[in-house]
Amino acid sequence: MDLGPPVMVRKQRSISQLKDSHKPILPAEILSSILEYLPVADLIRFARVSRRMQEMVYDDTRWVFRLRLMGVWNEAEARKRFEEAMKRRRATMAAKVAEETKKAVEMGVIPLAAVVGPGGAAANRTSTLFDACEEENRAKLQREADRRRAQARPLSDGFDMMSITPLTAELPRASIRDPASLLKVLPSVKSVRGFARQEYGRVYGALAPLYFDLAKAKTHTDPVVFRIFRDPEQQAQVLAQLRVFARSDTAYGWGERLERLNLMTGIFENAALREFEGGYESGDIDGRMKRYAHVLILLNGGAACIQLFVQKHPVMFEREKLGNPMDSFDTPTADSFTLDPSSEFFNQLSAVLNEQATVIDRVFPADVNVMLPFLERVAEDVVGEYITPILDEAHARNMEMYLKAVAGIYSQCMAFAGTLKPTKGSREVFESDVLDVMNRVFEPHVDLYLQDELEYFRKKSQEEVDKWERKILDADAATESFYMSNINREADKRDFLSTFKKVILMPVSVIPLPFANRNSVIIEAKSIEQSPYSNSDRLSVQGPESVPGTPGPEGRKSPMPPPTTELAAKAAIMNTRLEGIRSLFSLEVALSLVHNAKESLERAALFARSGGQTGEEAKEQCEAIFIALLQVLGPRHVKTGFDKAVEHLSAYNPRAATSHNHVAPLVTFLELVNVGDLIQQMIDVFYETELVAPKLTDRNDFLNPAAKEKKRFEQMLDERVAAGLNMGIDVLMNEVDHIFATTQLGTDFNPGVLGEVGGVGDFDIGPTDTARQVVDVVGGHTRLLVGSTDKNVLDVFNQEVGVRLFASLCKHIKRQRISVDGAIKLISDMNHYHSYIQSIKIKSLDPYFNALRELAQIYLIDPSHARQMATVIADPSRFGGIFRVEEVYEYATRREDWYRVKREVERAMYGIGCVVC
Amino acid sequence: MSEIKLLSSDQCTIVVLKEVAERSILIKNMLEDVGEVTEAIPIPNVNESVLKKVIEWCEHHKGDPPAAADDDSDSRKKSTDIDEWDQKFMQVDQEMLFEIILAANYLDIKPLLDVGCKTVANMIKGKSPEEIRKTFNIQNDFTPEEEEQIRRENEWAEE
Repeated sequence: MDLGPPVMVRKQRSISQLKDSHKPILPAEILSSILEYLPVADLIRFARVSRRMQEMVYDDTRWVFRLRLMGVWNEAEARKRFEEAMKRRRATMAAKVAEETKKAVEMGVIPLAAVVGPGGAAANRTSTLFDACEEENRAKLQREADRRRAQARPLSDGFDMMSITPLTAELPRASIRDPASLLKVLPSVKSVRGFARQEYGRVYGALAPLYFDLAKAKTHTDPVVFRIFRDPEQQAQVLAQLRVFARSDTAYGWGERLERLNLMTGIFENAALREFEGGYESGDIDGRMKRYAHVLILLNGGAACIQLFVQKHPVMFEREKLGNPMDSFDTPTADSFTLDPSSEFFNQLSAVLNEQATVIDRVFPADVNVMLPFLERVAEDVVGEYITPILDEAHARNMEMYLKAVAGIYSQCMAFAGTLKPTKGSREVFESDVLDVMNRVFEPHVDLYLQDELEYFRKKSQEEVDKWERKILDADAATESFYMSNINREADKRDFLSTFKKVILMPVSVIPLPFANRNSVIIEAKSIEQSPYSNSDRLSVQGPESVPGTPGPEGRKSPMPPPTTELAAKAAIMNTRLEGIRSLFSLEVALSLVHNAKESLERAALFARSGGQTGEEAKEQCEAIFIALLQVLGPRHVKTGFDKAVEHLSAYNPRAATSHNHVAPLVTFLELVNVGDLIQQMIDVFYETELVAPKLTDRNDFLNPAAKEKKRFEQMLDERVAAGLNMGIDVLMNEVDHIFATTQLGTDFNPGVLGEVGGVGDFDIGPTDTARQVVDVVGGHTRLLVGSTDKNVLDVFNQEVGVRLFASLCKHIKRQRISVDGAIKLISDMNHYHSYIQSIKIKSLDPYFNALRELAQIYLIDPSHARQMATVIADPSRFGGIFRVEEVYEYATRREDWYRVKREVERAMYGIGCVVC
Repeated sequence: MSEIKLLSSDQCTIVVLKEVAERSILIKNMLEDVGEVTEAIPIPNVNESVLKKVIEWCEHHKGDPPAAADDDSDSRKKSTDIDEWDQKFMQVDQEMLFEIILAANYLDIKPLLDVGCKTVANMIKGKSPEEIRKTFNIQNDFTPEEEEQIRRENEWAEE
């Protein structure tokens, strides 16, 4: 097995060299990484060792790396310059070529090398891609100018004691000799490829002497920096540059040097801070404060000075002056809570902050954002400290109080944020910055609040339903039936719904806005307390007559008691109409549940607007509140009502009932369907306006729990309605049968049976009482449904009723004995049914009742025309295929004189009698 | 912990813990490729004394955390410190120092190579070009004028 590791070619060469000289030679790549650890001075000395070493040291990337460490290398700029240079170079090349060809034409062919010659040397040394000559020339020109400037300056300028660098004509541009140029050496660095070494040299020449001097200094008075520059601004500027320069120091021991530099900077910073503080204490805003703020910002962005400025503000220590959190409680009466003190608090704070904003504008330059840190601090130390005790106290006292306090103070906070003025140094998005800060203050409270809001709502709703159930139980669940007139339910409902919608859409301010309009605020705040329908005042002002185009139910005409709202009034009207279902479920309960939900939602929605994670959570919580509403309203309230109604229906026994005009439970149930539909529409409006419109939930997201719950609620309602209707038809038909059995007299269709031929009722050709009653019962009940359920459901219901009515009628006829005289009665009965059926406009029912009408004819035929009777019986087309011949025959047997005509008819039908004939 | 054998260029076999030998990325990769090895692994470029020295270093540093990824070395400043043990370890004659560096380079032991380079950098600090040439055995191919020109070009760097 050959395990010999691969040997690199270059390595072999160095090994062979090693054998030759008996001294190991390090390959170039290792030398290169050694160079990385060398201080700049040694690095440059290394360049003098040999050409290859020079190349290695001069390598542009080495110097770009250092510039990059200082953060002054701009790659984009370098690329731009490079491209420009390339363009220029191409242009000159083209010019050169043109010239060359011209020359060639003039003087014949010349050796190409002669042309290339002069530029060749420079191109060899540095990257050939770069127009080195030109940059070199430009640099030289600049150097020339510098030298002239340096020479022009008298040497007795006062800095000759620091002759650290030798005086040479070739001295790089900025140096200790020229302190002013030192201040700008870093910003003046250009990013030029191929010239990174020169650029770095400029910086190094200027800053390195100061840097190394500083690093060696024992005390803060030693460093040259502080002696050359007397001005604190300049000192700060140079120190800041040195800090940047220190980043490019990669040589051994840079750690200690940096530490030293930081120490010196720290001493300087502290001194400047003391000056700033002195200025602060003596109120010298435009003098010392402004000056030293500037110095500190030059030095390191001024973080320390901003911090000091923020911390020293009296508002941090004198928070109590702005208001005691406990003021919100027990005034005016014990155990009450008011938002007035907190609004006063925010007002004062806003004034203080705006005053401070002007100070900031005077002290700090426009490129430093001091207001934000100041605000953050105020929010944390002042606002946070103020609201936390309030909320804690409110939480401990009363849940409802707590919920109101959170929402109220939060919206006050938001309004407060809106009153703050931006400073010059503030960012464009100052307002959202401020809102962020305020939201952060509330962050610790939001979770608890949202949870409590949901809990509270759930509990309250449950309580409401429980309370109502208890009340019903106490009041005895006996249902009372009463007559339902044929009022236009559809219109009433639309009316009610439009009111409801208006109330919902009304910009209810559950929370007063202290900064907007203080007067209206107090009124509103009171109105919240006093009525369950929070915007009573506004609504009653608006007046009931302002609802256009709705037929006014009687309740509307009478003057309403003042505190009732329009909505409440409507609810009351609906309630009197729907008294029959009082024991099952209450529209009023549903309304107040919805109202509670609205209140909770509105509070929670405040937080949803704040965006971010809190906003998301708030949205989820809003959906959860809606779901809770549906769950309480649905399974707890409506479903039980429906179940009870269905139970009543199934228990209904027509024989036990005293009144036969109406089936009480069915009426109740149909009313229930109406109210259920109303509630569903109410929920729908609520969902649209409260959740979808403010973008709290996404209607199109079918996985959304709120949307799913809503579907489930609707589905539940539909199921209940369907089950109830099914039961209702049974009950209705039982009633119809009962009416047939109890009211149809034997003499109705057979007037001669009692021997009173040519009696009184003979010429009365109207339908019998029984038929009228039946039609009234059926028609009355079906009409109740109109407008309350879906058209399709209604059609199915009506059709089923029609078919069942037909079956009952058939059974009924078979029980009767009908004479020729009575046939007229029967026919008019059948006509009566038929016209009723036509009135409900169900096409598929028509043939049944047409057939019944035809059927009645067979009783009218005189016994002597047995033959014709037979043709009628045997003609199935006459009955539209509804009855078969056998069935018609069966009906014919119900003739009073059947036994007399039977033979004749049978003979005509079956030809039996032909033989005898 | 299994042991493996290394064979130096002067045919000496050295037994070493696998864990220690795997400080060398070269050996580690090779072991990963071939699996179990019973024979001595030849290290053709390194003689016994140098190999022993390298192993000594590896033994001392076997518990070190793996070096951070290389790619950020461009943006971040390298640490120039040499820990005390390494400083003592590097107190050898120059020939040995170079041999160690070469061996570390060949065996791909990055931390050792770094320590070596730092030591060399410290060694040549403050030396004149001529002294540097001697140290690295480099021929001077400059004329005195050229050398002077480079010096003047970079006068800014002189202390």
